[in-house]
Amino acid sequence: MSFVEVWHLIIGNPILNVLIVLSHVLFGQFGLAIIALTIIVRLVSWPLTRRQLKSSKAMQDMQPKLQELQKKYGKNKPKLQQEMMKLYKEAGVNPLGCLWPMLIQFPIWIALYQAIMSALATTPENLLNLAHRLYPWDIVNQAIPLSSHFLGLDLGQTALQAGALGLLLAIIVGGTMWIQQKMTTAPSVDPRQESTQRMTTLMMPLMFGFFTLMFPSGLALYWAVSNIIGIITQYFVTGGWGYLKFRSPFSQH
Amino acid sequence: MKNTKIIVLVVISLFTLLLVSCAPGSAQSAGGWSGVTVHNNIIYVGSRDGRVVAINASTENLEWSYSLASATALTGGLSCSPTAVSAAIYTTPMADGDLIYIGTYDGRVFALNTSARGKNLNFPRKAYGEWVVFVGTGAGNDAIVADMAMKGDFIFVSCSDGRVYSLEKTFGDLIWRSEVLDEKHKKLWTSPVIHGDTLYVSTFDAHIYALSAETGEPEWSFKSEAGFASSPVIYGDTIFVGSFDRHLYAVKIGSDVLEWRFPEKPAGNWFWASPVVDEGIVYTGCLDGKLYAIEADTGKEIWSYQTEDQNGRPSPIVSSPVLMDNLLIVVNESGTVYVFDLAGELANEGVPWWTASIGASVRSPFCAQEGLVYIRGEDNQLYIVDIDNRQMSQPIPLTAES
Repeated sequence: MSFVEVWHLIIGNPILNVLIVLSHVLFGQFGLAIIALTIIVRLVSWPLTRRQLKSSKAMQDMQPKLQELQKKYGKNKPKLQQEMMKLYKEAGVNPLGCLWPMLIQFPIWIALYQAIMSALATTPENLLNLAHRLYPWDIVNQAIPLSSHFLGLDLGQTALQAGALGLLLAIIVGGTMWIQQKMTTAPSVDPRQESTQRMTTLMMPLMFGFFTLMFPSGLALYWAVSNIIGIITQYFVTGGWGYLKFRSPFSQH
Repeated sequence: MKNTKIIVLVVISLFTLLLVSCAPGSAQSAGGWSGVTVHNNIIYVGSRDGRVVAINASTENLEWSYSLASATALTGGLSCSPTAVSAAIYTTPMADGDLIYIGTYDGRVFALNTSARGKNLNFPRKAYGEWVVFVGTGAGNDAIVADMAMKGDFIFVSCSDGRVYSLEKTFGDLIWRSEVLDEKHKKLWTSPVIHGDTLYVSTFDAHIYALSAETGEPEWSFKSEAGFASSPVIYGDTIFVGSFDRHLYAVKIGSDVLEWRFPEKPAGNWFWASPVVDEGIVYTGCLDGKLYAIEADTGKEIWSYQTEDQNGRPSPIVSSPVLMDNLLIVVNESGTVYVFDLAGELANEGVPWWTASIGASVRSPFCAQEGLVYIRGEDNQLYIVDIDNRQMSQPIPLTAES
């Protein structure tokens, strides 16, 4: 059995078939199915998300102490690093703790992405290939082929082809991703690191905004919904907007 | 914290790479699976690089080839986004006199003159009766995927905007366009079939429509539970059509009641290929790799035969079976050719009289004429199988360099 076959068997096909069933149940609306499946995936991956958010919150709480260390050892970089690591250890916080849950979730996101692409079956080849990935359930086969139209968008077409609606979708994807990142990214005490973070926080939304224009709108819908759920979850778990704060241009820092 | 920076960058790169490469498994771009036609000793076929290729059937030499490539790609996007090969060809060339009619995935219908193309004249050469027209609404979903139909002076085209178009043969003028037959999917990937003065079209939206060939007005429709995967076939006053719900349907023209549905319990996969009917028996291939012989009147199975690939695993039947005299020819996706002698001793037992493998994947419609079977492989080569002499000629490359 090849890696692709194993991948489809364990992750790809279950997600694909659930997506199709959801589409059938939700009045044949593939867009609603994407939203529902995104919510389901978010629920399933909740333990990982919670860990990620807790780690992020702990980092947020440590900021005043980190700033103190910055003031104290600002010129002595090795000492600053040493003291920061000591502080993390004492607080029981892993600064990379918010990254690993994200890495573990990647296969799920990729499978979800592939399921959307496969289910849309935008070309005759895709439709034919879909036949070999479906479960022999009546509900699945009666739902095929899926309608790709949702809220005036053809989910199989790129956002670029969708015109103004597609552009709006790209802005929503980029905007929500930026908000989510700003909420979770703790400002660094190291100016160089701060610069890298600022770049990353800006680059990711721009990159996904660009992807939105180039990939089928179905995927963009998934990104948008996923980001919005992420923002809501983050807001309620950490009790606020996190690091997303208005910074006055007249303030000192 | 230096590590954090590295990990963040690695994560971003990895995510980007995975999304762009879409590994493992991804959407496949539209490459086309044009069928083969033989007319006046010339073989016509659409290649995977969007050309119509004409080959002399006797000498197997290239007569001419003409690229239908369009300047504009249908869908943009990154590597795994469903980008279309410009002018991918899914339709089988349709020959009439010196003209070849063919539709493309970007919604154009061409009339090519064999003489003009042989002389490599600029296209379209109106004096030779050549033309090209766009069908559809221009909204980017005008792909022509199904074979076109022809009757008298008219060509009938199913378009991905969900409508059927009637074009006048001489100049390509639009005669009529039907209402949107598939509002839900806005796709019409099945061929119209002409029966008398009526066109019959099956849709993904689980309908069979009868349209007036003269006006395009709907005359009758039948509604099913599941979408139809194959184009309809008419025998007597019955329509046979394959479905996504793993059944083959039989419907009497004009009736709103299902005649029968085969098999009782769903088959192993969709009935994607159109069936053929001969002497009251329906022969239909399924994507589960089985060929079924069914009584046309009752829907009762007479026999079934499991086709396989080279490793003995079931191989889907994507191309419709073809009848040649008393022979039934079936080619499965793995490229195995099965010949059933319908008049022989084993006619009622479902045992092939001869099998051969072309060694290439097959999804295109193939044709059979005068003892020869013409098959376009997914490897962009043309295979000719001599049934009478039980042999195969060397494959003919359809690549631009050949």
